[in-house]
Amino acid sequence: MFNWLYAPLQAILNGLLTGALYALIGMGMALIFGVMRIVNFAHGAFLMMGMYATYVLFQATGVSPYYQFPFAGVLLFFVGYATYMGLLRRIRGQVDFMVILLTMGLALILVDGAQLVFGADYHQINIPLLSKNVSIGSEMSINAPWLVSFAIAMVLVCALYWVVTRTMFGRAARAIAQNPYAAPLMGIDVHRVQAIAFGIGSAVAGIAGALLLPVFYLFPEVGNQFKLKSFVMVVLGGMGSIQGAAIAGLVLGVVESLTSLYWGNEWALAVDFVLFILVLSLKPSGIFGSQRA
Amino acid sequence: MRKWQVSIAACFLIAALFVPLLVPTDYTLQILFRVFLFAALGLAWNLVGGYAGQLSLGHAAYFGVGAYGLALFSQLGISPWASVLLGVVLAIICAAMIGRVSFRLRGPYFALCTIAFAEVLRLVAKNLPSVTGGDVGVQVPLLFTQSTIRSFYWSGVLLTALAFALSAWIERSRFGYYLMAIREDQDTALSVGVNAARCKLWALLISAAITALGGALYASMFLFIVPDQVLAMDISTEIAIVAMLGGAGTLLGPLLGSVVLESAAEIFKNVFKEAHLLIYGVLIVLVVLFMPEGIVGTFTKKLGLYKKAPSAPFRAPLPSTTEEESQRIAVDE
Repeated sequence: MFNWLYAPLQAILNGLLTGALYALIGMGMALIFGVMRIVNFAHGAFLMMGMYATYVLFQATGVSPYYQFPFAGVLLFFVGYATYMGLLRRIRGQVDFMVILLTMGLALILVDGAQLVFGADYHQINIPLLSKNVSIGSEMSINAPWLVSFAIAMVLVCALYWVVTRTMFGRAARAIAQNPYAAPLMGIDVHRVQAIAFGIGSAVAGIAGALLLPVFYLFPEVGNQFKLKSFVMVVLGGMGSIQGAAIAGLVLGVVESLTSLYWGNEWALAVDFVLFILVLSLKPSGIFGSQRA
Repeated sequence: MRKWQVSIAACFLIAALFVPLLVPTDYTLQILFRVFLFAALGLAWNLVGGYAGQLSLGHAAYFGVGAYGLALFSQLGISPWASVLLGVVLAIICAAMIGRVSFRLRGPYFALCTIAFAEVLRLVAKNLPSVTGGDVGVQVPLLFTQSTIRSFYWSGVLLTALAFALSAWIERSRFGYYLMAIREDQDTALSVGVNAARCKLWALLISAAITALGGALYASMFLFIVPDQVLAMDISTEIAIVAMLGGAGTLLGPLLGSVVLESAAEIFKNVFKEAHLLIYGVLIVLVVLFMPEGIVGTFTKKLGLYKKAPSAPFRAPLPSTTEEESQRIAVDE
C-alpha cells in the first residue's frame, strides 16, 4: 500500500550513502579553505591520485580497498604537505588569483601526468563484496560496498571533527583561521600547522578516492566533478565550517539522488550548481554555517 | 613604454596580415588562427581579469553562447552574419545577468560563481537536445565561402586588432582608470565616488561581446560544435591563462601569452600526445612562482621601463583581518 513511498525512500537512502563520501571530500576542502583561505583546485586531482594509488596496490596485492585505504591517506598526506611546503608557502600573502592559478596548474600536471602513466582508459575493479546486497523490508535494498564506505566515511568525518575541535593542532588551525597575524604571536608555527592542515585535507580526499574506487569508474579526469562538488559543499556549508561541509555533503547526495529519480541523472550536477548560485547570491554565509571561519 | 607596446603590437598585427601570402599550408594557418583567436579572447578577458582585477573563470559561457548563437539562429533561417550579431547580443544579455549576481562577490567567491554559471550553461546545453542538439552536437554554417582558411585567419587578426585597439583606448580612458582603481582597492575606489558595480559590469559586457565574436569564429571554423567543446571549463581556463601568462593588466601581455602558450602547446602535442595540457600546468606553475606579474609585467619591471613611484617614507602595517571583517569579505554591499 505504500508503494509510492518506496522509490523516493530508496533514493534518499542512496543519496545518504553517496553523501557520506561527498561529506568526506567536502570536509577536506573546508579544512583547507577555512584555515588558509585557499581554494584548492587540485582537490579533485588529489582524489584521483588516491584512486590510482589504491588501484595499483589492489592490482599488486589483491587486498580490498576497504582494508588498504589508509595507504592512500598516508600517501596523499605527504603529497599535500609537500605541496604546501614546496609551492603554496612561497606565494602566501599574494592575491587569491595566484593561489587559484597555482592549484589549477598543479591539477593539470597531476591529471595529465596520470594520463601519461596510466593512459586515458577507464578502469574498474572487482571485489566479491560488490555482488552482495542488504535488503531492508521487502522493497528496498542497499549494495553492501556502499554501506561499508558509508560506515568508514562517517567514522572519519567524526574523527576529523574531533581533531579540529579538540586537539592542540585543531586549536592552532582555528586560531590561524581567526587571525593569521595574531596566531604567530601566540607561538603557533603557522607554516607547519597550515602544511599539516593541507596534508590532512588532501589525505581525506585521497581516502575518499580509495573508498570510491570499487563503486566507480577510474579515469584521469575522474576528480573534476568531485572538485566542483566540493566547492558547492564548502559554500553550502558556510565558508570554512567543516561540520557545515559534512552536512552539506549529505544534503547534496540526497538532492542529487532525488533529482535523478524525478528529472533524470543528467540534471543532478546542474541542480548542484543552481543551488550553489542561489546560496551565493541569497545567503553567502551558507545554509548550515555558523559564521565561524 | 606604452607607446612602445602599442607600436610593437601595431607592427606585429600589420605584419600578420601578410603572413598568408608567405605561408602556403592550411595547417600552419589554422594554428596561427588559433594563436590570434586566443590573443583576442585573452585581451577581452584582460578587461575584466586584468584591469578590473576580477578573476573570471567562466568566460566559456560567452564563448559558447556566441558559438551556439551562430549555429541556432542560422538554423531558424537567419543569415550567418546576422546570427553572429544575435549571438553577441545574447552573450551580452547573459553577461549582464551573470555580472549582476557574481560581481556582488569578491575574491575566490567571484571566481567560483563564474565557474558555476558556465557549468550550468554547459549542462543545460547538454541536456536539452531538442534545442541545442545535446551531446550529438549541432552544425554551424560557414561564414566565408571563398579561400576559407585565409579568411578565418584574417578575421582572427582583425578581431585581435579590434580587441587591442579597444583595450589601448580603455587603458587611457577615465573608465580604464576606474577599473584599475577598483582592482587596487575597491573600498577606496567606492569612497572616492567610483560606481564600482557599473564599471565592472560594463567591462564584462564589452569583454563578453568580443568573446562571443571569437566563439562564433571558432565554431564556424570547426563547422560542428558540442557543449563539452565550446562551453567547457578548459576554454575558460585557457583564456585566463593566456592573459595571465603574458601579464594580466598589460596591453601586450595577452598577445605575447597567446603566442607563447599556443606554440608551446602545438610543439608539445607531438611529444605528449593526449597529455599536452601538462605543458600548460608546468607553464602556469613556473609563471606563478617566478613571474607573478606575467612575462610582460616582469620584464617591464626588471628593465625599469616604468618611472619609479616615489617611495613611501614608511611601510604601511599589514591589514588585520578581524572576525567581522572576514565575514564581510564574502559580500559586497
